[in-house]
Amino acid sequence: MRYENIQVLVLSTAMLFTVVIGFIVYFVILYRSRQERNEQEQQELKSAFEQELLKTRIEMQEQTLAYISREIHDNITQVLSFVKLNLGMIPVADENVRAKIGENRELVAQTISDLRNLSKSLSYDYITAHGLVKTIETEAERINSSGLIDALLFVDGDIYSIGAERELVLFRIFQEALNNALKYSSAKHLKITLQYHPDLFNLTLEDDGVGFSPDLINNSKGLGLKNIHNRAALIGAAATIYSSQGNGCRINITLNPSHKGLYTNGNHSNSIG
Amino acid sequence: MSFYVIVSYGYLLMLLIVATTGIACYKKLGISFKILTIATIISMITALLAIVSVKVIKTNAPVLHVEALSEYIFYSLIYYHLFNGRGVKNGIILSIIIVSVLSVINALIWQPFTSEFPTYMNLVTLASLAVFSLLLFRQMLLCPSKTPILKQGVFWYNTAIIFYSTTLFLQIGLSNVFKKNAGVDALVFYLWFVILYIFTILTGIAIVADSKENRKVHAI
Repeated sequence: MRYENIQVLVLSTAMLFTVVIGFIVYFVILYRSRQERNEQEQQELKSAFEQELLKTRIEMQEQTLAYISREIHDNITQVLSFVKLNLGMIPVADENVRAKIGENRELVAQTISDLRNLSKSLSYDYITAHGLVKTIETEAERINSSGLIDALLFVDGDIYSIGAERELVLFRIFQEALNNALKYSSAKHLKITLQYHPDLFNLTLEDDGVGFSPDLINNSKGLGLKNIHNRAALIGAAATIYSSQGNGCRINITLNPSHKGLYTNGNHSNSIG
Repeated sequence: MSFYVIVSYGYLLMLLIVATTGIACYKKLGISFKILTIATIISMITALLAIVSVKVIKTNAPVLHVEALSEYIFYSLIYYHLFNGRGVKNGIILSIIIVSVLSVINALIWQPFTSEFPTYMNLVTLASLAVFSLLLFRQMLLCPSKTPILKQGVFWYNTAIIFYSTTLFLQIGLSNVFKKNAGVDALVFYLWFVILYIFTILTGIAIVADSKENRKVHAI
């Protein structure tokens, strides 16, 4: 009888201990999975917020650029044309003075032409109307005419449209990279390559400048480089930057043309442009 | 020295260690764990009084009546501070009032404090604590914190309570079943000490975890 009682005691205690421990283990597993899910949700929220912030910044930038472009085209170039016209109407008998006025008229004409090109590169309408290749070509010509760098453009494959908004963002990335090359690289040559493959679009900018440490890419000081990454992410593209001290820089933007980025669908409430 | 005395002093020593740990990091503890430290000190005093009481009046029943009520008040107050919902908090306050009244009636009428242990009240308070514990586990699942679960004082305290309330409930049941069986009765009695030992260790872990958790928050 006593042995049976001990058996009951041991069994019931062991059973309860097992149930309690089992419950705690189950709770820990469940809690950890909830923690992971929560963390994932928070990451997604943060990412969506950052995308929204970037989209707003790009929209604001586009509006400002459009305004500057309009002002250059409608106001400054008009005034300069008027100046050029006035210069031509000055009655001068002296040959030397006439020659000087002629030189100035040419300079003004050159300035008007440069400003018109600049206006085009800033204008969203121009980019959407002429497409990425033509806009980059115009920009390369403008840079070449400035004599700051020798830019070469290569286009590979049959050109297709990858969507106005995405082309605009790609062009802004191109401008950011170009600005970086002009400001910091001391490069003599810039090679721009556009590759149009059926399943892959590739934009590459390669300079022969002084380059920079790869650490700078992850450093907060490399804001321009971060912008390139952020903008690329916005249209579902991948940006890869290769550089090292003394070996120039290569920026590669890869995009799947059939894959629509998060904010590139024109019907989406978050669509840019 | 009998085995009973050894395990009693062992339990006292354990309470002393946990209470000292709690006092040492008292400032770093959250309000709930400050209450837990005080509850541990009270438990230590009542355990000491129980030993003295057995020697002097041959029973520790009066001390256990006081201990049952004080433990319930302290552990419920801890839950009061751990819960977020106003409804549950009000429920805890109401339960403390009801249990206090019932404890007095029980000590005077149903189980006289001079001769009987407060098992009726124990069953009520342990069931109530088990419910609080399950509700807190539910709350933890609904709003998980970023801190790893094993580093959360709340988790260890709640584990201690769910373990304490369910196993002690069983122990009381078994002691009623084996009341007149002398050999088995002793085993049930030692089981009670095993439960108390584990519970005290878990509360000690809870206090240490909470002090570390708060230190991290202060560092941030």
